[in-house]
Amino acid sequence: MKINHHPDDATILAYAAGAVTEGFSLVLAAHMELCPHCRNRMAEANAVGGELLSELRPVAMSAGGLDNIWSRIEQEPEVAVTQPAVPAAVDGVPGVLTPYLPEGLGSLPWRSLIPGIRQYVLGGVESGRGSVRMLSIAPGTTIPHHTHMGGELTLVIKGAYEDETGRYGSGDLADLDDTVGHQPVVGRDEPCICLIATDDRLRFSGIFSRMLQPLVGI
Amino acid sequence: MLLAVTNLIPESENMAGMAVSEAVDWLTSVAKNRDRQAFEHLYDYFAPRVKSYMMRQGADESSADDLAQETMVQIWRKAHHYDPRKSAVSTWIFRVARNLQIDRLRKHKLHEVELTAEAEHNDDGLGAHERFEKRPDAEKLTALIGTLPEEQMDVVRLAFFEGLSHSEVSYQLSIPIGTVKSRIRLAFDKLRMGMGEKI
Ligand SMILES: [Zn+2]
Repeated sequence: MKINHHPDDATILAYAAGAVTEGFSLVLAAHMELCPHCRNRMAEANAVGGELLSELRPVAMSAGGLDNIWSRIEQEPEVAVTQPAVPAAVDGVPGVLTPYLPEGLGSLPWRSLIPGIRQYVLGGVESGRGSVRMLSIAPGTTIPHHTHMGGELTLVIKGAYEDETGRYGSGDLADLDDTVGHQPVVGRDEPCICLIATDDRLRFSGIFSRMLQPLVGI
Repeated sequence: MLLAVTNLIPESENMAGMAVSEAVDWLTSVAKNRDRQAFEHLYDYFAPRVKSYMMRQGADESSADDLAQETMVQIWRKAHHYDPRKSAVSTWIFRVARNLQIDRLRKHKLHEVELTAEAEHNDDGLGAHERFEKRPDAEKLTALIGTLPEEQMDVVRLAFFEGLSHSEVSYQLSIPIGTVKSRIRLAFDKLRMGMGEKI
């Protein structure tokens, strides 16, 4: 898998700082599972966080702080803390997504959104005023031109699409903010299945698209 | 939550009085020997900084104290997960504190993947040099951070420590969001260049 499109440095920084929605973190984690380059960038951003933590002006702990810690350690039974392992990828779907798509892509209860576009909303993922959803888009479909009130991250799982900024295939991540408008067109050969997180509502431009907005509800 | 920019400039000391290797020894000894004295050294250095971090994320002083204590309890419990080949002690502690902050203050979770694992997909078209081989060198990174222009560091600090989104940073510093992002890119380009990586 040759990945050509990656999240912006500013997005990686926000992720490392913990300043993104859970939905954004899910899409970024899914991309990083596939992308060693971005795992590297994330490790650097975390290291910057560690350095900046060391630089912070210390605020004295309360007098009994350390005693409290020892009594908490002694009172609460020492349970072995295991780090939850990321499940294995299934059917080309990154492992971090499998808890949300337990049956794989094949048997997802897709709902038709508009002709050519089906969606599945991932439940229970904190996303601010936005959402996380899978879209399955039929070959050759053009998505109405739209901009975003906040940010939008799109990870291509299968198939490909193209817009003004290039071609996006499996593993590629499109990182768009409210300054970018785009009109994606899906390749003619196969449907494009992608994972999209927004942290605010999309804003469609054009009269027909604006009429679609209430129907689409993205 | 408007703060004067002067509040964001930390004191100039960093890792004062503690060598990076010393912190590794302490944490390793906590993991292997359940060494209470080593743990107390870590507490003396990190707990007041973690408390400061929690206050910047919006916690009042007493909750910040409590969150710093809980961070230290987790450090005691998770110490055996620390691998000095993968990250500096400060990086590891930052992640513990950050994840606790997200859980308690933001009340959601942050999905993460193992950053140092080899790619399972061998057909990713990347050369071995692009894989993660060792942790970023903490001392080198400290020195490099010191060379970044203040205007870049202000943006990076606001994002890290006030937990601000880029549009909030943009609002607070009265600069366009594009400028926020380009300053972050410039800062990371410079850090990567300094760490001897190809961009
Ligand atoms: Zn990437």
